[in-house]
Amino acid sequence: MQPPFRRLLVANRGEIALRVMRACGELGIETVAVYSDADAGALHVAAADRAERIGPPAAAESYLSADAILAAADRAGAEAIHPGYGFLSENADFARAVVAAGLTFVGPPAATLAALGDKLAARRSAAGAGVPIVPGLTVPLDDGEAALDLADVGFPALLKAAAGGGGRGMRRVDRPEDVAPALAAARREAGAAFGDATIYLERLLAPARHVEVQLLGDRHGNLAVLGERDCSVQRRHQKLVEESPAPGLTAAQRDALADSARRVAGTVQFDNAATVEFLLDGGGNHYFLEMNTRLQVEHGVTELVTGLDLVAWQIRVAAGERLPEAVLHAEPRGHAIEVRLYAEDPHHDFRPVPGSVGAWRMPGGPGVRVDAGVGADTMLPSEYDPLLAKLLVHDVDRPAAVARLRRALDETLIGGVQTDLSFLHWLVDEPGFVAGAYDTDLVADRWADGPPVSAEDEALAALVAAEARLAGISSSPGRADAPAARPWAEAARRAALRERPGAPRR
Amino acid sequence: MRIGDRSVTPAAGWTLTWLDREHGVVRLSDGRRSRLALVEGVGAEWVVTIDGRRIEVAATTWRERVLADADVAARAHGGPIEVKATLPGLVVAVTTTEGAEVGEGDALVTIEAMKMQNEVRAPRSGRVAHVAVAAGQPVAAGALLLRIE
Repeated sequence: MQPPFRRLLVANRGEIALRVMRACGELGIETVAVYSDADAGALHVAAADRAERIGPPAAAESYLSADAILAAADRAGAEAIHPGYGFLSENADFARAVVAAGLTFVGPPAATLAALGDKLAARRSAAGAGVPIVPGLTVPLDDGEAALDLADVGFPALLKAAAGGGGRGMRRVDRPEDVAPALAAARREAGAAFGDATIYLERLLAPARHVEVQLLGDRHGNLAVLGERDCSVQRRHQKLVEESPAPGLTAAQRDALADSARRVAGTVQFDNAATVEFLLDGGGNHYFLEMNTRLQVEHGVTELVTGLDLVAWQIRVAAGERLPEAVLHAEPRGHAIEVRLYAEDPHHDFRPVPGSVGAWRMPGGPGVRVDAGVGADTMLPSEYDPLLAKLLVHDVDRPAAVARLRRALDETLIGGVQTDLSFLHWLVDEPGFVAGAYDTDLVADRWADGPPVSAEDEALAALVAAEARLAGISSSPGRADAPAARPWAEAARRAALRERPGAPRR
Repeated sequence: MRIGDRSVTPAAGWTLTWLDREHGVVRLSDGRRSRLALVEGVGAEWVVTIDGRRIEVAATTWRERVLADADVAARAHGGPIEVKATLPGLVVAVTTTEGAEVGEGDALVTIEAMKMQNEVRAPRSGRVAHVAVAAGQPVAAGALLLRIE
């Protein structure tokens, strides 16, 4: 097969940059990595055929700088740019600039990014296409009339950024007096994250499930609807676990979701990959949330059940190829689950943990896939998202997939920083999750910083520490130049401070 | 062995096999089940990770413990407190001023790190004697943010 492009630049970092490069390797495309000064030693730089520095650590001056990335593409002689997810992936101006520079943007057309990037405009067009939307405003929220508008929609409500994504610029409001401070905070966060402080609001549907439909289209009018993913396990409105198919959906509900997704895609000129997100209420009714015009973090779940390589198809349709029948009528098989491994402390409100990864052991065996952006002894830059890796499993049905996930988690070890692995170990035995009966409140309602360490685990920890001291083990996570060269000592000191009666509490 | 402020007896009936001494990877077995664990540290201070949970274990002598306790007591009851950044990031807001009276738990500074906004709160009540940072300023972990008297 003739490669779709000779050389492709990946305008991203971490696991997704590596994921795109793997697809390029199989397609015979040379890869160009870009990196900020914080990432000079990162895995994605080492994995590429060549690498270009694009600026200092701050994302605004590197991975978010269209000028720096286009200059790198020019220096490297790239023919196409894959934006990954996040950063510039849904930025219409960037997509336009890529095309203006004579290169191919691997993603939907710039006009489509613009139309769907405005979440408010997208709500209006979806409603116009006969798709139910989450009740709320279809115009921006005004500072002066915020309380009035909210009274119409009702409490609890959710303030959301019109340019939003990733849970940023989002605030829950339960009482009228909370509106002003929440609005100010949402505007500040949205302004900083997206350069656009426009806020609107929706009624908070809870309990609800977050279900999304994967779309893949070519430039010849063909559209494949590749099933749904349930992404209801969330913290801070950000996903932690995704699975396909969504548990407990009827065939009619699944068809209705697919139909709505097609309708939303029909409101724009669409090709390449995108995801249409919905909320499902307790009665199984679905409501359009937004359409993400890019590859999703959790695309691998769909890849496992369909057997398709979505990234390879993104690149091939961007080069003008037609989607074959095998893609257009792909039938999902079995059940897939993804869990995200984050450098976050689930026992302290999932706050990000800076530092360095020490030991790194990932699981293997049948039906297990790991997409990682780091390895052993990797320093974690504080400028970027704390996602370390995605662990995916596939098996014949959901109970088998959950068992496989439990086994894979038992094989996984990450040193140096607290990760959400402890939460995931809890989750695979949580009765609601095991039964497939859970919603977006699962983490807030049932986890709540997690259970205390069991007596057995404490006794085992004491045993291991005693043996380590006897054996003369001296293992220090990360490199000597890491910001906290002895994070365990610092952490132990902090814990002692916290737990002392009468000591200051946070 | 101490975990937090309690003494913990090492588990009996489990055998321990080192899988990777350099990284502190160990397999534990009681003859029926086996579990992976990770141990990091040196000397008296260890972190053991079991099922993803980092458990801090201290193997200190009584003398080291008395000195540490005295330090903790001094911080809790006397003198000025320096509020420091617990993680590196960008100061996006300073919500107090020099001379202001603050209560325990009051928001003082907002730091953005890893795309999250984190509020630094007052560890105890007092008067803000000195503010060392301003909005827009990057800070390293451990950097002085302000001092409370």
